[in-house]
Amino acid sequence: MKTIHRTLTALLAAALVVAPGLSAAKTLKIGSLSPLTGPYAADGNDIRHGVETAIALWEAKGGVPGYDKIEYYPQDSACDGKQAVSAANKLANLGVIGVVGAYCSSATIPASDVLNEARVPVLTPASTNEKVTERGFKYMFRVCGRDDDQAKVVAKFLSQQLKVKSIALVDDKTTYTAGLAKNIKKFLKGTGIKVVAHEHVNQGDKDFSGVLTKIKATRPDVLYMSLYNPEGNLMAIQARRLGLKAVLMTEDAVYHPNYLKIAKKAAEGTFLTYGQPPSEDIPEVAAFINAYSAKYGQPGSYSAYAYDAANVLLSAVAKVGADDPAKLAEAIRATRMQGASKFIQFDGKGDSGSTYKVMVVRDGKFVPYWDPDTGKLY
Amino acid sequence: METFLQQMVNGLTLGAVYALIALGYTMVYGIIQLINFAHGEIFAAGGYIGVITLSFLQSRGVLEAHPTLGLVLAFALAMVYCAFLAVALERMAYRPLRDASRLSLLLSALGMSIFFSNGMMLCQGVYDKAYPIQLYSTGQFTVGGAVVSYIQVYIFVGALILMIGLNLFVNRTRLGKAMRATAQDKVMSALLGINANRTITITFVIGSVLAAAAGVMVGLYYGSVRFDMGFIPGIKAFAAAVLGGIGNLTGAVLGGMIIGMVEVFAAGYLASEYKDVFAFIILILVLYFRPTGIMGEQVDDTRV
Repeated sequence: MKTIHRTLTALLAAALVVAPGLSAAKTLKIGSLSPLTGPYAADGNDIRHGVETAIALWEAKGGVPGYDKIEYYPQDSACDGKQAVSAANKLANLGVIGVVGAYCSSATIPASDVLNEARVPVLTPASTNEKVTERGFKYMFRVCGRDDDQAKVVAKFLSQQLKVKSIALVDDKTTYTAGLAKNIKKFLKGTGIKVVAHEHVNQGDKDFSGVLTKIKATRPDVLYMSLYNPEGNLMAIQARRLGLKAVLMTEDAVYHPNYLKIAKKAAEGTFLTYGQPPSEDIPEVAAFINAYSAKYGQPGSYSAYAYDAANVLLSAVAKVGADDPAKLAEAIRATRMQGASKFIQFDGKGDSGSTYKVMVVRDGKFVPYWDPDTGKLY
Repeated sequence: METFLQQMVNGLTLGAVYALIALGYTMVYGIIQLINFAHGEIFAAGGYIGVITLSFLQSRGVLEAHPTLGLVLAFALAMVYCAFLAVALERMAYRPLRDASRLSLLLSALGMSIFFSNGMMLCQGVYDKAYPIQLYSTGQFTVGGAVVSYIQVYIFVGALILMIGLNLFVNRTRLGKAMRATAQDKVMSALLGINANRTITITFVIGSVLAAAAGVMVGLYYGSVRFDMGFIPGIKAFAAAVLGGIGNLTGAVLGGMIIGMVEVFAAGYLASEYKDVFAFIILILVLYFRPTGIMGEQVDDTRV
């Protein structure tokens, strides 16, 4: 009897010692920054859904090793520097181990100042402005492409493929759109293409008839819309309504199913630069598209990038844990992974390379048009 | 010249929309001295009812067969819905505060604006909703080199008809007379047997019906609606109402046209990124020299 007692006591004592280790439910907290309300809420929610899809797939596989729960904190950065900074502070205080975001470069740059200081890795799925990764930040990564690469492709396409003579640019003065327009101007130098107009509009504008009429008078061959999605949709319709004959060209932020749905016939023939998604035959891509569309419908322009960003982060945590941010950042930098958006591999700056191709809208669909690497049509 | 004419057409279309919304602001202000900030959201709600109706008709295949009927139905339903919305808004958010300070009423209006805008976001989603028909392709004509599309003509003529109708209603009918009487002196008109509450409700309803029509027009013109579409036009229309002389119907129409024109011409001839600035500079200038607005009534003792 005594021995049983003793054994039991010993077992209980042992249980007490071991129990905290066993039951300390280690929770993995990750955050995201994207505009969940306001005019860019569509893309912002695509990003959130992308992250949610990645988490759901990890959980279906049994979670991240070493952690029994993933908690996700989507924050609203509203495409606004001030709000992004306070959301970033909130995430840092919550103790998230990594952040996917933000969307607008003008929000990502100030938010990553805060998070870099707090040693929280940031993986942006959408901010393409060069500055994002040009500040020597150890904890800043970019899953999408860069605007200087994008602008190069635009200049090359216009001068070598379309062989146009003149271009009119419109941007909305934010870091991303203005930076892209500036880069395009830079790369157009020496190609003989003349910039006949460079106009600016405001985010949230609905009526562009005034500025488009002004542009129409300069008779450009190409109207380049360096805008975000809602303004781009509206401008395409209004340009065609005014009888502007110029070729419409725009970028990855307008590459969204909504552009086709809203601009309809006005969208036909628009050229867009976009990091072309890899073939659906690749199992990783198919897995993403199936999981995403089962829950949220057709993926938006940044859904796959956000999904990849979350996957890169979670894979790195699975490898080295999240206790040491420096180690985690190193593990992210060492990523070699086939993602849903491209093959992901970071360089010293935290960039993962650009895969911009020229797409065209044909019969209400985005189809690949021109490959800048070969200079050939698809 | 061609560009100038084109800008005129652009400005008139935009101005007509602002004028329609501004009328709602100015009527409500005239009768209970309230700036109804939720008015912009009623305009957005009208746009949403339009897109819901048209999409439903399209899914049933009715829209292709009877496009005109579809449009009439979209306008009618949007107007009816917004009329009820206005009654509910007035009953719940404004009537209980009728005797409270004007500031409480104003805050209630701001709160309702945020409530409606977020309500629309929750019910209808954050994505732009596309109008199923695109009227830009239904034809256009040129006048002296300026392209005028039929939709612009519809908007302008539609707005004109509604404004003339409103003017006749206010000046020629008993209800209109009751409205004017209540606006002038609530106590006296009540003593004379005019039901102030009913008159105020009717004012809200008429303003909202106009806003609903503007909402559907804007949806058709720009091809899409979004939950926050009421905010900026609401502010512009409010500025238009103030510019024209708040409380004055003709002033609201004039103010709307001026704001629309200034915006388009500033974008066309000055800097498009500052078009809103120019619109508000005009507002400040006018208010500096004529504090009551262009057509504003003389400030009399009963009002102050």
